[in-house]
Amino acid sequence: MRSSRSRPRSVLTGLAALALAVTAAMPTGVLAQDASPKTGGTLIVAADGTAFPPNLNPAIATSNGVTYISSKVIEYLANAGADGLVPRLATGWEGSEDGLSFTVHLRDGVTFSDGVPFTSADVKFSAEEAWKPLQNFGRIVLANLETVETPDPLTAVFKFSKPTPPSLVANALPILAAVLPAHIYQGTDFATALQDSPLNQQPVGTGPFVFSEVKPGELIRLTKNPNYWGDGQPYLDEVVFQALPDAAARAAALESGAVQATVFAGVPRIDLTRLDALDGISATTTGYELLSYQVALDFNHRRPELADVAVRKAIRQALDPQFIVDNIFLGQGASVATGPIPAAATDFYTDDVTRYTFDTAAAGAALDAAGYPLGADGTRFTLRLRVAPFFPETIATGDYVKQALEEVGIGVEIVPADSSAAYIESVFTDRDFDIAINSPSYRPDPAISTTILYVGGLEPGIPFSNQGGYDNAVLNQVIADGLTTIDTAARQELYNEFQRIVADELPSISLVDFVFTPAHSDRVQNIGNNPRWPVTSWADVWLADQ
Amino acid sequence: MSRSGWIGAIGLGLLVAMAVLAPVIKPGDPLDLVGRPVMPPFTDPRFPLGTDQLGRDVWAELLYGARVSLIVGIAAATGAIGIGIVVGTLAGFLGGRADSTLMRVTEAFQTVPTFLLALALLTALGSSTFNVVLAIAISSWAATSRLVRAEVLSLRQREYVDAARLAGLGPLRIAFREVLPGSLQPVIALVGVTVGAAILVESALAFLGLGDPNQISWGVMIANGRDAIRVAPSLVVIPGICLALAILSVSLIGDELATRLAPQRRRAP
Amino acid sequence: MLPPTLVFIVRRLIHAIPVVLIVAVGVFCILEAAPGDAVDSYLASIGGGDLALAEQLRRQWGLDDSVWVRFLAYMQSVVTLDLGRSVTVGVPVTEAILTRLPTTILLMGSAIAMSAVLGGLLGGVAAMHRGRRLDTFLTTSGLLLNAIPGFWLGLILIVVFVVWLGWFPSAGLSTVNGPSDPVGHALDVAWHLVLPVCTLGLTYMALYLRLMRGAMTETRDSPWVRAARARGLPSGRIIRRHIARPALLPVATMLGLQIGTMLGGSVVIETVFAIPGLGSLAYLAVSNRDLPLIAGVVLAGSVVVIVANIVVDLSYGRLDPRVTDERLRSGVG
Repeated sequence: MRSSRSRPRSVLTGLAALALAVTAAMPTGVLAQDASPKTGGTLIVAADGTAFPPNLNPAIATSNGVTYISSKVIEYLANAGADGLVPRLATGWEGSEDGLSFTVHLRDGVTFSDGVPFTSADVKFSAEEAWKPLQNFGRIVLANLETVETPDPLTAVFKFSKPTPPSLVANALPILAAVLPAHIYQGTDFATALQDSPLNQQPVGTGPFVFSEVKPGELIRLTKNPNYWGDGQPYLDEVVFQALPDAAARAAALESGAVQATVFAGVPRIDLTRLDALDGISATTTGYELLSYQVALDFNHRRPELADVAVRKAIRQALDPQFIVDNIFLGQGASVATGPIPAAATDFYTDDVTRYTFDTAAAGAALDAAGYPLGADGTRFTLRLRVAPFFPETIATGDYVKQALEEVGIGVEIVPADSSAAYIESVFTDRDFDIAINSPSYRPDPAISTTILYVGGLEPGIPFSNQGGYDNAVLNQVIADGLTTIDTAARQELYNEFQRIVADELPSISLVDFVFTPAHSDRVQNIGNNPRWPVTSWADVWLADQ
Repeated sequence: MSRSGWIGAIGLGLLVAMAVLAPVIKPGDPLDLVGRPVMPPFTDPRFPLGTDQLGRDVWAELLYGARVSLIVGIAAATGAIGIGIVVGTLAGFLGGRADSTLMRVTEAFQTVPTFLLALALLTALGSSTFNVVLAIAISSWAATSRLVRAEVLSLRQREYVDAARLAGLGPLRIAFREVLPGSLQPVIALVGVTVGAAILVESALAFLGLGDPNQISWGVMIANGRDAIRVAPSLVVIPGICLALAILSVSLIGDELATRLAPQRRRAP
Repeated sequence: MLPPTLVFIVRRLIHAIPVVLIVAVGVFCILEAAPGDAVDSYLASIGGGDLALAEQLRRQWGLDDSVWVRFLAYMQSVVTLDLGRSVTVGVPVTEAILTRLPTTILLMGSAIAMSAVLGGLLGGVAAMHRGRRLDTFLTTSGLLLNAIPGFWLGLILIVVFVVWLGWFPSAGLSTVNGPSDPVGHALDVAWHLVLPVCTLGLTYMALYLRLMRGAMTETRDSPWVRAARARGLPSGRIIRRHIARPALLPVATMLGLQIGTMLGGSVVIETVFAIPGLGSLAYLAVSNRDLPLIAGVVLAGSVVVIVANIVVDLSYGRLDPRVTDERLRSGVG
């Protein structure tokens, strides 16, 4: 505000803003080449959360909190685009008819930051030593990977022992296939020391930037990789992630010009309108289209009341997701969910499912009919609610759910969880909850991180999985088939069926689909030019003059 | 009573009135989302102080928040002073090895920064109002214990204690029936400070997200309002002023108690 | 013969050993009661994992041993000052604490200096104007400041001085890519510390104000001062030498007692201003359930308090030579 309100705007800022307005209107493909980029400068990003994850190796750690930093240093075989996959380290890929092999063609002329060429041996090493054994997505998608063959330096062939859908492998490339340099990682203890290994704390890759300074809980500095394969890229000299744990402080830093960008839940939602109205600052969901999250209500089916589908449906009727969208998300970047797959995932989503309406009276009547009349104290039964403390919105939803259920005579006691670790242990290991507010993130294929929230028979101790005890043989079969069906259309139909069963049975309730709305300075160019922008390389990002 | 004593009494009276009358003035759960989010104060008669970022009635939150501050302040101070009295009396009266062991423990508790200990305790126990009280009590009894021990040491040599011993009373009975009451006056002077400190610690813990999620407190209100400080500063300003006034009132009352007790002490044998 | 000061320090340190050990045992008990361990925290940070991975990590990090084995390992690590690695910051706990301690000492030292000097001066002024309007004003403002929660004052100061006036930076200890020459860097850090130091200093100032005022009122009426007045010494000198100087003793005692409280206060202040010190490290540890780090911070806090008190006791000698000998000989503060 200080810089933007009191000082007159320079002509250049105006031009830059104009350029942004023009580029924003263009199709994504031509974006990077359009404006003539200025080389140099340091982009300071206000980092989210309370601390930087110590293990920043994206071949092992897949949370967005890891990859929004490490994606600048380690690149993926492919990225997500507005209309399907975009080649990155791979130039093309195809699966065999039988689903037993998946061939990847690699880009020529790519080197790691130390100048050593990138080859299929690196893909083989990464897949066999990191993705499959150590990475949560790799453990699912590459479960049946036997070996990776390397017929030549630019071809890698994934060989599976059981059919693995090529579309699943391809969909997973932008989140799973982060390539490590075999010549640096081979023979080290990165796989056992994990976060204690320097190679995981400051990983090495082919990306446009390299790690140059890590001050835990303070800042991470990435500097330009002089050996980067992209022509003239990266444009920035440095990207600095400065830890600012408080959202209001991040907004103040953005206004004062101390930082130029925020990511994810970077600024307070309630502040977005005000920030967006400022000169030189914009708030937008652009670039987050395929980084969607949900707010969901999980049931513990071991509670006899909750094992009754009539009760679960009554609870769904007692809740008004539109209220959450309007009052908690303030109508920004959120919509009522119809099921576990967000509408933005057009390849798998179907809206042809059972829908529920908000109807307190009907909910009460249904609970009466299910055999849970109001007791003398005005309560039918009492549930212990655990709330994921990941986002302010999940915490607020917990308060809303408590109020809404008490409205229909279901008592709710919120059990405090001050840290994500405490929440994860009590819900996913100890199963010590009746209902829980969770916030799963959707990945480009339902098989990657969505169906695990519904499949039965899992052991305890798997974070972000079905620990509520729901076990439906039909649904389990549909989920299992989705992992082995080769034909893409048949797979889509399976996931449509998955959504229909979930909507009928409500093993858990998907309340709201949302994406984050961060704010940034208009000086930052090429922001949001792909649907997973914060977790991509930023090789084409540049800073316009003040 | 001095003028500052009166001010303190009025402030404390208001605080107690808010806490006691909260369910009468605003029945129902203060955490209910009842209106549009961030309505400014003095615009809608239904919500005299406006609504917060989730559409809760700020006035209702304030009333019920007074309860948490008052309950936590009094309960934690009672707990801390209680532990301090027991440990201090035992140490002072038993003497010898028991004394030196207890004093080492006291010293350890006095050495650990109170707030850090409370943080660690709440992390371990989980946050509920009861645990907040427990954490504050456990982390702030050491000063009382030292004070009581010093008093007991000076009193145990007195004649009436010898008389009790000769009369065949057990040591614990002598400690708590005969010696302790005489040593309480300086402790009472500490009450105001201890209650004020407990209210402050509760609000700071709540601000860091370690409050009870089922209850609203002024610290929680400030923590919630922090994100909205630019759009609706009243959400931070109002509970902050309430906290400051409550703590000020309590410490003024404490001062008054201390000065009233001081001349009596001089008169004591 | 060793110099008495050294003997005193050594005695005090020996005395502190059992205290630190008691703290260590207490910390272990607390952590044992905490749900959620470092593995859960790690898995949350990388985006999930499965049971086999979790078990493998627990084995690797020694989390699946029995309580006694872990207790012994823990006590051994305390004694050898190797407190293990922090999951949250990814470096050894001792290193994390040592890198952040100077920042907190700088912040606290400045705040203590500010509150003691300002509080002492204003307390002196109040004492000299006892009962008059200025006295009432100063005492009341002191009390009010003392009642204001530090984190709230910090938030308000940020809005006024950072957002509205734009005088100070909102967060951090230094500007990213700021001046690199020593003087420029020091100025940059000082500029960043103004608001946090004021917040911390102002909320604790009232104590010193009251103490100094009380003590000076007493010394003002002491026979020494009356004698000095009778001899016709200039009043400025009387105030400085005979009234203010002896009154500094209780202020010094309070400094020692306040170190721990202020360290606690710095948790919230460092969090509000995003200052990378021990306090924000404590908050990081708590919000990530990083048990070794919590243990380390609590222990480090205790050590800081012990050391600070030894320093305070040594400074008694400078303020009042009469106490020195006795204190040094008895070895207690």
